[in-house]
Amino acid sequence: MEARSIWERMMRIDRRILYVILAVNIIAALMARVAIEPDVPPPVKRFYDTVEALQPGDMVMVSSTWSAGTLAENQPQFEAVLKHLMRKRVRFTIISFAPPARDISHRLARRIAEENGYVEGKDWAHFGYTPDIIIAIKGMSEDIAQTIRQDVRRTPIAELEVMRGIKSLKDYKLVVDVTPSDTLGNWISYRPPDLKILYCPTSVMAAEAYTFLDSGQILGMITGAKGAYEYERLLGIVGLGTRFINAIQFSHVLIIFFILLGNFGMLMQRRASAS
Amino acid sequence: MSYQHAEDNWFAAILIAFIALAVLVNIWRARRGKALYIRRIPGLDAIDEAIGRSTELGRPVTMIPGLTGFGVEAVQALTIFKYITKQIARFATPMRLLTANATVYAVAQEAIADAYNEAERPDLYDADSVRFLSSEQFAFASGVAGLIQRERIAANFMFGIFYAESLIFAETGNIVGAVQIAGTVSFTQVPFFVAACDYTIIGDEFYATSAYISREPVLLGSLVGQDLSKISFASMIVGGSMISTFIGTDHPIVQLLGKPQGWQSFVEWLSQVLGR
Amino acid sequence: MLFDTTQLVVALLWIAGAFALAIALIPLLGTLPPRGRFALISFVTFIAGLFFAAEFFLPVGEDNKNILTDPFQKMQGSLQVITALSLGLGTYGLVRLHLRNAVQRRPQWGYSLVLLIAFVVMAFFSIWNTMAEKGLFGIERTQLLENAFTLLFDYTLIQLDATMFSLIAFYIFSAAYRAFRIRSIEASILMFTAMLVMIGIVPLGKLISDSIGLPAVQTAEMRTNPFMLENILYNLRLPQIAGWIQETLNAPVQRAIEFGVGIGALAMAIRLWLSLERGIN
Repeated sequence: MEARSIWERMMRIDRRILYVILAVNIIAALMARVAIEPDVPPPVKRFYDTVEALQPGDMVMVSSTWSAGTLAENQPQFEAVLKHLMRKRVRFTIISFAPPARDISHRLARRIAEENGYVEGKDWAHFGYTPDIIIAIKGMSEDIAQTIRQDVRRTPIAELEVMRGIKSLKDYKLVVDVTPSDTLGNWISYRPPDLKILYCPTSVMAAEAYTFLDSGQILGMITGAKGAYEYERLLGIVGLGTRFINAIQFSHVLIIFFILLGNFGMLMQRRASAS
Repeated sequence: MSYQHAEDNWFAAILIAFIALAVLVNIWRARRGKALYIRRIPGLDAIDEAIGRSTELGRPVTMIPGLTGFGVEAVQALTIFKYITKQIARFATPMRLLTANATVYAVAQEAIADAYNEAERPDLYDADSVRFLSSEQFAFASGVAGLIQRERIAANFMFGIFYAESLIFAETGNIVGAVQIAGTVSFTQVPFFVAACDYTIIGDEFYATSAYISREPVLLGSLVGQDLSKISFASMIVGGSMISTFIGTDHPIVQLLGKPQGWQSFVEWLSQVLGR
Repeated sequence: MLFDTTQLVVALLWIAGAFALAIALIPLLGTLPPRGRFALISFVTFIAGLFFAAEFFLPVGEDNKNILTDPFQKMQGSLQVITALSLGLGTYGLVRLHLRNAVQRRPQWGYSLVLLIAFVVMAFFSIWNTMAEKGLFGIERTQLLENAFTLLFDYTLIQLDATMFSLIAFYIFSAAYRAFRIRSIEASILMFTAMLVMIGIVPLGKLISDSIGLPAVQTAEMRTNPFMLENILYNLRLPQIAGWIQETLNAPVQRAIEFGVGIGALAMAIRLWLSLERGIN
């Protein structure tokens, strides 16, 4: 068997070697203390401005459908959004449309609320898990207490202090959809017409949302952990997005480097075969 | 603006009726013997090739409908898988159909059993070849990846709705050297399939698959109706852009084409024009 | 009380009635010839689809409802019941397969055994946890339940889920290395676009653009004179190029694909509704 040339070996590097290189790159980047100021894109700026325009006492719905799989992308967004809402002294409720999402979001919200002096039931509440998003949104657009009935601690909705003066989604100013799945279309289709939407998808789902941004059906968007980093810079806080951004950007650089390397190997191998 | 009823926007309802009419008229034309053309889709031509390769290697074929809930996408995916199974049955190639939705699992069992019956090989049907792994996305992904690796599959067909787990399936199939054909309406997963699969079927080519393979007049006619609808929409977009350039975006005709509440202002304008 | 007695009796009567109807229908379907069976199924499919279509097209009142809206919402609820039933069927199939593998010591039966043990343990503690949360049958949360649930959910399930998602990062690396080669014009465009977006969306893209001296800010003058040199240079910044690709190139293409997919789905739904759908022969 002919010995493979260096160029062939370069084109066919064992994928396990690539994985090790990537793993080392990510670990090193996570430990690195490199801070690069981002160019905040307009969707993130509009997201920030929309929340900033809220007044104390306004009501916001946070739809949290993410669970452990997309922790790295959605948790930074979720935490940053809740911190911003609490900074603005805005009331909020959380609802989940996936079973594991309920526990994860409730636990995180409790932790952040305690750090910010928010009291569950008085300043915020978690409506728990609801299986059918369409029925839930339609029902909440008419009467939340009838649709949801009780919060995650089994307190009737009507008895929650945070729900004073709130009957339905028509009394909400905003819904923030933090999700790795296709819930945005349901919020756009079934919400009350005046309810504004902000979107926090994973990076992969973001590509689908630009049409809605363009048409104004969503007002702003934070894309994955990178978007959370840009949002944290606007808020002036250090969160998970800030901690992850180096791993993201140096991984991108590594991928680009290896793509170029592979193409270089292919070109050199073609020349060697031709000669 | 919500579109829960036709009354929310009658223009949208009229467009839906228009599409339905276009489809039905062309089905009628096709049934009357009109010859209809469909362009080549390389990914679909490769299905038989992939099945042949599996048979030669004596390794199984996997069929994955993704995270599709039971709906039109699942029906289309199962229609394609039924065709693949009938081809497989001719050569007694082993197969695995792996689902993440229990309703799809129940229907898939019946569809695959039917496929073997129609291929006159009911003896080859193994109820365990259709499996429900898990409704959790990544539990399903790990189950599929493990099965692909353990059984060293030779061909992998992925048709349906996929999310982040698509690349796990495709790359694992690539690791074991399988021929992979993917078809999805999930726009965001297309780049991953393009990078990792041999053939990718994008968007409404997925719905054209049954028409392409069977050349059944009803299906071809429906495809032509869909294409006519798309051409009409494209013309409306171009026409609407030109009109709005010349007469402004506030004109009721432009509002009708471009705004959800445009129907109301268009009807008022039309009444005024006709009233004169 | 776990259930209200009247509601329980009514529910049981409904279930019995449904069973009776199903039992009566099965022999009826058996006696019909194939064409008759097809006609009956097509008729039922048509009526069922007509219900949903009619609910959409019928005029609504001030409360945004027509006469079919409330039954429509109840129908959606019944779909959830069907989904729950089929989940039981799927679980039965899964357990049956792996139980048989383990008992008959088929190849790789060890994996089946692990699955069965994990299934039983997780189900036991999850059901216990749910009953304790809802206070059913007087069951309370104990320290054992807290510890077991934390171990299984927080320390096992969440970590495994996150690990599987993380695999994608490694897989995209090997897929991109293998696939992004200059083999054709389309492949080259794909490769360069991917590289531009990858570097443009992260802070490094801004750093690179700043370091080669491209204008960092778009002034009002640049906005009013789009063809001035500074504005052209500003738009050559990597973040601006990446943003343009995502918003101006990606969005229209995505709309176009969504049009096709939406029309295709509608056409397929019409074929299914009118029983015109043909399999592939």
